[in-house]
Amino acid sequence: MDEFALEPARAQAPMAGAPFHVWVFPDSTPWTEFHRSGRNYLLRFPELADFEVARDGRTVRAWPAPGVTEETVRHLYLNQVLPLAQSRQGKIVFHASAVEVGGAALAFAGESGRGKSTLAASFAVSGARFLTDDGLLLEPRGAEWLVRPSHPSIRLWEDSQEALIVAGTPTAPPVSYTSKARFLAGERVRFCSEPRRLHRMYFLGAGAAGAPRIAPLRPAEALIELVGHSFLLDIEEREQLAAHFDELSRLAAAPIYFRLDFPRRYAELAGVRAAIEAHARAEGVTA
Amino acid sequence: MNLQSKVAIPEEVMTRRVGDETVILDLATGTYFGLDRVGADMWQLMGEGRTLAEVCDAMQALYEATREQLERDVVELAEKLRAQGLIRAA
Repeated sequence: MDEFALEPARAQAPMAGAPFHVWVFPDSTPWTEFHRSGRNYLLRFPELADFEVARDGRTVRAWPAPGVTEETVRHLYLNQVLPLAQSRQGKIVFHASAVEVGGAALAFAGESGRGKSTLAASFAVSGARFLTDDGLLLEPRGAEWLVRPSHPSIRLWEDSQEALIVAGTPTAPPVSYTSKARFLAGERVRFCSEPRRLHRMYFLGAGAAGAPRIAPLRPAEALIELVGHSFLLDIEEREQLAAHFDELSRLAAAPIYFRLDFPRRYAELAGVRAAIEAHARAEGVTA
Repeated sequence: MNLQSKVAIPEEVMTRRVGDETVILDLATGTYFGLDRVGADMWQLMGEGRTLAEVCDAMQALYEATREQLERDVVELAEKLRAQGLIRAA
């Protein structure tokens, strides 16, 4: 159970100490500061909001900075804070999107800008359904892993919107920190609301390939990628890190990981989807 | 690093075996290193508090390699791991 409480706006008072971890934008501006607050965590998004995450990750309280909309804070919560809070619950969450093909889940992992959401949206407007556009939550089920559906919306930059989304598709209200629009699932952007077995996970390359290229990863390579793409709130707590590393090692042992690179041209997305589907089916997707 | 050196593995560094390989990771810094089976054996012996010369002694019992080759490989691996902060001189 994840509990979220939106508190009244308050100014961001200076913190007593330096953060124990910081996420920065490419220009080195801080995007998220990770502080300790008693036994809990305080995540500060400068000039946007403060979030207090309980030590067990089950409850989150948010204080918007003055003038920041509730919608912005909820957006930050869903996309940034919730996956971190879930990591405190011992859950496995990745920077990855996922779609349902042939009754099973295909996941696409990559840093921001690698095209996770664009690829998921491309499938979701072309007959398949998406499970998440980021914050991929996996749960073990016997020897397999289930992908849990997340929020039924996809965030896209303007160029991807123009290429993929037909006019009139419902959107969530705009938020103040990004020009990405959030498209709500429906008849045009189809969403899968039931968990699906993880069949393949593709790590997205930088777009250097002239045609879709898929290559398998060895388990050790997969483990390194999984570590690099997972959400973790507290990178200093050894016991939880060890458990996290164990879980990822178990996950990495399955032969389901591949590098995927393809040219970043919208006109070629249909070919990219076809290559991915053929690859997944050749490897034995079953419903 | 030389053959008389002993090394220690920092507390925050973790190791996991996956398939035929071993991954050494410092999650706090995001540093990682992949080892094949031979490298993983060297790593394990280094972590037991032996000098690098003693690591070579043990490796000689496990693998068919010349002493000279083993010494070069063990010292080279120790240097690489130290440069990444995954071991330190004891």
